[in-house]
Amino acid sequence: MTSRREFMTRLAGGVALLAAGGDVLGAQEAQSPGRDATTAGADSMPGMSGQIRPVRLPAKPGAAPSMTAQERDELEHHLHCQCGTCILDVYTCRTTDFTCQISPAMHRDVMALVEGGHSAQEIIDAFVSTYGQRVLMAPSKSGFNLLAWFAPGIALILGGAAVALIVRRLGTKPTVKPTTPLTATGATRDELDRLEAAVKGHGEA
Amino acid sequence: MILIGELSLWVALLMAAWSTTVSFAGGALKRDDLVNSGVRGLYATFAMVVLASIGLWTGLLSRDFSLEYVASHISANMANVYVFTSFWSGQAGSLLFWALILSMYGTIAIATSRARNRELIPWATGTLAAILLFFIATTCFKANPFSRLDFIPIDGKGMNPQLQNPGMALHPPNLYLGYVATAIPFAFAIAALFARKLDAEWLSVVRRWALLSWFFLTIGIVLGMWWAYVELGWSGYWAWDPVENSSFLPWLTTTAFLHSIMIQEKRGMLRKWNVVLVVVSFLLAIFGTFITRSGVIESVHSFAQSPVGPWFMTFFFLATGTSIYLVGTRLKDLEAKAELESMVSREAAFLYNNLVLCGIAFAVLWGTVFPILSEWATKTKVTVGPPFFNSVNVPLGLLLLALTGIGPLIAWRKASVSNLRRQFAAPTISGIVAGVALFVAGMRDPYPLMTYALCGFVTGTIVQEFYKGIRARQSIHGESVFMGFVHLVGRNRRRYGGYIVHAGIVMLFAAFAGMAFKSEFDITLNTGQTFATRDPYGHEWRFVSQGTSYFDRPDRSVIAVGLEAFRDGKRVGVIASEKRTYHDSQGNQLFSPITEVGIRSTAKLDTYIVLAGVRGKDTAELRLTFNPLVVWVWIGGFLMMIGGLVVMWPQAERQRSQSGYAAVMRPGGEGGRESAEVMAGV
Repeated sequence: MTSRREFMTRLAGGVALLAAGGDVLGAQEAQSPGRDATTAGADSMPGMSGQIRPVRLPAKPGAAPSMTAQERDELEHHLHCQCGTCILDVYTCRTTDFTCQISPAMHRDVMALVEGGHSAQEIIDAFVSTYGQRVLMAPSKSGFNLLAWFAPGIALILGGAAVALIVRRLGTKPTVKPTTPLTATGATRDELDRLEAAVKGHGEA
Repeated sequence: MILIGELSLWVALLMAAWSTTVSFAGGALKRDDLVNSGVRGLYATFAMVVLASIGLWTGLLSRDFSLEYVASHISANMANVYVFTSFWSGQAGSLLFWALILSMYGTIAIATSRARNRELIPWATGTLAAILLFFIATTCFKANPFSRLDFIPIDGKGMNPQLQNPGMALHPPNLYLGYVATAIPFAFAIAALFARKLDAEWLSVVRRWALLSWFFLTIGIVLGMWWAYVELGWSGYWAWDPVENSSFLPWLTTTAFLHSIMIQEKRGMLRKWNVVLVVVSFLLAIFGTFITRSGVIESVHSFAQSPVGPWFMTFFFLATGTSIYLVGTRLKDLEAKAELESMVSREAAFLYNNLVLCGIAFAVLWGTVFPILSEWATKTKVTVGPPFFNSVNVPLGLLLLALTGIGPLIAWRKASVSNLRRQFAAPTISGIVAGVALFVAGMRDPYPLMTYALCGFVTGTIVQEFYKGIRARQSIHGESVFMGFVHLVGRNRRRYGGYIVHAGIVMLFAAFAGMAFKSEFDITLNTGQTFATRDPYGHEWRFVSQGTSYFDRPDRSVIAVGLEAFRDGKRVGVIASEKRTYHDSQGNQLFSPITEVGIRSTAKLDTYIVLAGVRGKDTAELRLTFNPLVVWVWIGGFLMMIGGLVVMWPQAERQRSQSGYAAVMRPGGEGGRESAEVMAGV
């Protein structure tokens, strides 16, 4: 049996999210696609995802914006929102989940780095050094992560090799049943004879 | 009724335990009395689970907030239809729902195949009862929907408004119907392995249920995509979310099985492989339920860590271990009865199809579990999102699409060069024409270009197959094109129903490729202001803000904005998007506000508008997206469903041929020889 305290504590988790989500960027009112109140607690857990961490680099001398707004949006498609409850990239999250405090903050960091003249790769590296590999929407192609990229290919090659092996056996082993020339139906002569008998009404094939 | 329901759940637990024990004992000791008792135990379990379910529905519909499940998932002012569907919206209810469907399926499967599969029945009943036992025990001990609060709240927490959508009302039950149906083939496969009766008997039951599973998984997946698209507001329908992936996995392996079973039926080949596919499909369904319910992998769907995780993990490994042991000890009984005769044959094409389908399944599974593996091995958490899944699966998907067109064109056993030339000419020309036309029209992106060329090729294959069949009927029976089509499909539902499914697949691929050309814009508009842009087809669009409006409904407060849209200067209508804040009967806010997306759909383009927020009184911040060809996802999905229905529709085993006939080779004759049966042909 669940006590009033336990039940209310769980409800309070949801209310806390509503309260927290209210004043994220002036125009962005609370909204939470795919997000349930019960997941809210994870956002504030120390050491867990869901914490805003500033990503700062000094501006380059005489810096000018390093990319267009469109290129910046494209770059944000490669960065994973660190709210801890969604699976969206920064661009999609900040333009979809209007309760999220994390993706707008990450967007502000990206904008500052773009203004500071940093290239796309430098910006990505800065985010990785701050948040770790999980900030990327896909694992980097290095170290242990190579396994992520190559395992499906290796599995497919092994599967293909297995199929090739099955077929190679044909060359060395006679088939179980000698076959007669094929018809469009794929039936053997013997089977067709029985079929013919059935059609002529002499019994079942 | 609630109390009866609660008690029934515990009785169901005892009945399932009894049925499991006596069924296996009956099978091992060859005692019919025990077997019969086990079967009756399964039926009784079904009856008890039905009573338990009625009990929970009674609690929900009577708004009995003393039940924790009711208080946590509905509120007093919710529409009854969503109160009804809240049965499966939470963990405890969905586990009971699993048990309800499984006990129903199990009862039907055993009752309808009892006479024909006597030797398999004890083992199949025991396996089904054991699975049921697991789900009922988990429900009773770890997630009991009848658990009570020690006080009665005035109102409940309500259901997330985004789940109050027709798509979401139907999506979970369809997925569950699909997931659970994999248990029947699994039970009969395990039974066939136990009883060492691995000929054609178990296949007849298995194919029907695998098809049912595929059918419901298809509907469930497409409905989920539709719900995500219209409700979540990120202007897509598939995000490679772990829960989406887990529904896709059994679909892939079941699809592979539905192809490879044809080889076993016709040639007695791939017997081991088919058993493996049946077992893997069930294990993936359990894996999917485990992911959905355990929270083991970060996902929007995986609500908090749950106590059922370890139970599912244990059951999963137990089922896997048992299956591996049984398959491993029966390998000799699963030897093929024929050999592959050529790399260029229908059966070889099915083999390649299986290879690619399983390759995709592995890639999806691998990407889904890799974050756990990485964290375990390197203590580094990584994200495996759409860029990974797209780059791995798009080439495999194109290969699969190509095989969809190639398979039907190749003869069984061994295709001759003349056969290939004759069969491939028209579809190849069709594919080339599609590719060249789009290239000339300016399409340069290689993946979409290849996709559309292959869509042209597969369409050519499908049209050619129907054309030849209808022509044959016309020449033999003098039928019209329409009647020829109807009779052609009616007399060979498996084959032509399959082609209808393939047509749906073509539409899906065409729609997926269309999303490569989507374009999106962030816009800010005051009342009367205009935003002008071009869509991916080059048409000029103008959007004029009609201003924001504020109003209340009984269960929500709404802010809405309307954009009057003009295409090439011609008014096409007003597209409105809303932000809704739901509240309970006491006026307390429930959940965070949600956005209602404004969508204008045509065959070529969806115009998708999301109200991001309102600054001041009437400055609307919006996201506008042009999504090409999305509607073809829904049409393609619908066509796949129709094709599935055609294939599943009961057909007399033998019909008198009016003229002409086709041979269907069925394994299982005396000494395992294939036997020929007369089927009505063209």
